[in-house]
Amino acid sequence: MIELNNISKSYRTDTIETLALQHMNLSVPAGEFLSIMGPSGCGKSTLLNIMGLIDEPSEGTVVLAGREVTDYNGSKVARFRNEQLGFIFQSFHLINDLSVVDNVELPLLYRKLGGKERRRLALEALARVGLSNRATHFPNQLSGGQKQRVAIARAIVGKPNIILADEPTGNLDSHMGGEIMDILTRLNKDLGTTIVMVTHDERMAKRTHRLVRLSDGERVS
Amino acid sequence: MLSHLIKLMWNKRRANGLIFLEIILAFIVLFGVYAFAFYNYDRYSSPLGFSYENSIGLRLDIDDDMDSLAVLGLQERIVREVRTVPGVEAVSFLGPVNPFGGNNWGTGNDDNGFQLFTRMLFADEHFAETMELKFREGRWFEKRDDNAKYPPIVVNGKFMDEYYPNAETLLDSIIILSGDRQVIGVVEDFKYASNFAENEPLTFYPQSGFYSGDRPPFEQMIIRTAPGQTAAVEEPIYNLVTALTKNTDVVIWNMAEDRIKANRPVVIPLVILLIISTFLLINIALGLFGVLFTQINRRRAEIGLRKAMGATPGEVTAQFVGEILIITVAGLLLGTFFAVQVPLLELLPIPPKFFYFGIVAAIATILLIVTVCALLPSRQAARLHPALVLHEE
Repeated sequence: MIELNNISKSYRTDTIETLALQHMNLSVPAGEFLSIMGPSGCGKSTLLNIMGLIDEPSEGTVVLAGREVTDYNGSKVARFRNEQLGFIFQSFHLINDLSVVDNVELPLLYRKLGGKERRRLALEALARVGLSNRATHFPNQLSGGQKQRVAIARAIVGKPNIILADEPTGNLDSHMGGEIMDILTRLNKDLGTTIVMVTHDERMAKRTHRLVRLSDGERVS
Repeated sequence: MLSHLIKLMWNKRRANGLIFLEIILAFIVLFGVYAFAFYNYDRYSSPLGFSYENSIGLRLDIDDDMDSLAVLGLQERIVREVRTVPGVEAVSFLGPVNPFGGNNWGTGNDDNGFQLFTRMLFADEHFAETMELKFREGRWFEKRDDNAKYPPIVVNGKFMDEYYPNAETLLDSIIILSGDRQVIGVVEDFKYASNFAENEPLTFYPQSGFYSGDRPPFEQMIIRTAPGQTAAVEEPIYNLVTALTKNTDVVIWNMAEDRIKANRPVVIPLVILLIISTFLLINIALGLFGVLFTQINRRRAEIGLRKAMGATPGEVTAQFVGEILIITVAGLLLGTFFAVQVPLLELLPIPPKFFYFGIVAAIATILLIVTVCALLPSRQAARLHPALVLHEE
C-alpha cells in the first residue's frame, strides 16, 4: 500500500542544512495499523507528510497504491490525496466558522458530489464517531476529544484507503485518547483502512499492529 | 462549493461587515458618477448644429440716437466691409443671445392647443451661412420676408420632433408665438448654450421681429474666418468697426475659447468627481489587498488543510476570489436596491436610462477591481506549502 524507498529529506537555509530523514525504507501493507515513535525532531511528522504527499522527499521514491509519485504539486496528486488519504492532526485543524457537519464535508467539496449526497456521507461519518447529536454545533462548542472525533469523521468521510494520523491523542487526556484509539482501531478492523499513526505515547503504540522507531531521521527499529 | 462559500461568508459576516459596507458606499458613489457622466456624455455627443472652430464674436455699441433706417444701413455697411478683410468668410449680426454667451431667452404658451416652450434666438439673414447651419427643410430668412403676410420663423429639429412628431413637414405652418408666425425653415440641430446643454426646442427670429422702439438693434456679430485666421483678423476688424461706429467700445472674443468656458460648469465637477472616484477605487483596491493578505495570513492552516484534503491550487485561488466576490455581490445587490429607487421614484430630472447604465457600469467596475485585487493574494494562498503551514499551527 505504502512504500518508501531510500527516502531522505533535508531542509536548507542560507547557512545550514538540516537532515530530517536519512535513507528511510518503509513498507506498509494494506490494512496495517502502524505506529511511529521517536523523540521530538526525529522526523516523524516529516515522514508522515511525505507519505501523505504534502511534502516532497529530497531523495528517494514514494509508491502509493502501486503508483510511484513523481509530481507533488499538480492537480493529479491533489485528487489522489482527496480520494486515497485521510489526515488527522494533533491540533485538529477544524474551521471554527463552519459547523461540525460542514467541517466533515470539507474533503467532499473537492469531489463531484451534490450537496445532499455530501450531507448524507458527512452525517454517516459523524455517526461512526458517535457525534451525530453535535452535527450543527461549532468547533468552539466542543471538547478536545469531540474535536478530534470530528477530525476523524472528516478523515474518513471520503472513504480513503489510508489514514495518516499525526499525534491524534497528543492534545487529549488518557481517557479521551483511549476513546480516539478505540475509534481508529475499529476503523482499521471494520473497514480495513490502513492507518499510520505518529505518537509519543507508548500505550497507544502498543495497540497498533507494528511499531517503527525513529531517531535523528533514521529508522532504528 | 458555492453554497459552502456562502455559508462560510455568512458565518464570517461580522468580520466581513466593513468590506461589505465599503462595497456599498463605493457602488453608490460610482453609480452617481457614472450616471452623471453618461448623461453628460449623451448631451455632449448630440451635435451643436453650427460651426464655431474658426469664428469670432464681436460686440459693438451703436449710437442710441440713430434712427432705425440709419442703424440698418450701418449694419449692412459693417457686414459688407468686414467681409472684405482678408481671411473673413462670412459675417452676421445677431441679437442679445449668442452661442456660448451664457444668456438665453425663451417664450411659451398653450395657444396652439398644447403647451409649447421654445428658446429664442434673433439673427440676420447672413446667420445661416455664417454658422453653416444644415437644413432639414426650407430656408433661412431673406430680405423679402420683411414684407411677408406672417412674420417668418425658423425652428430647430428638436422643436419639430418635440411638438410635431408626426408632421411630415412644418413648412408654411402657422404657429402662434407672440402672434401668428409662419415657419419657413427647419434646421437640423441648434444647441447654443454649450456642448453639455440640453437639446431644447428653439425658434429663430429675424431682426425685423425683434427691433422695435423699446428694444435695441442687434449689437453682436459672428465672423467666420478661413481656418487658422481668427487671431489674424481681430485687429483689422477692430479698427474697421471702431472707425465705422465711431466708438471704441468693441469687444472681440474667440468662439472656440468661449465654448470651452461654457463647458466648464459641467467639465470641472465631472473631472473632480472622476478624480474622487479614482481615489476611492484605489482606496478600495488597497483595502482589499490588505484585508485579503491579512485573512490569508490568519488562515494559513486552513489553506494547508484544504490542500491536504485535495484542493488544487486553482481551487484554493477560486475559493478566496469566490469569497470576496460573494461579499461584493451581496453589497452590490443591496446597493442596486437603493440605486434603482432614483429612477423609479424619479428623484432627479435625468432620463432613467442613464441611471440604469450607471448601475451596470458601477457593478462591472467594482466586480473587475475586486476580482483583480483578489487574484494576487489568492494566488499567493494557493502557493502555500501545506506541510509548512500545518506544522506552524
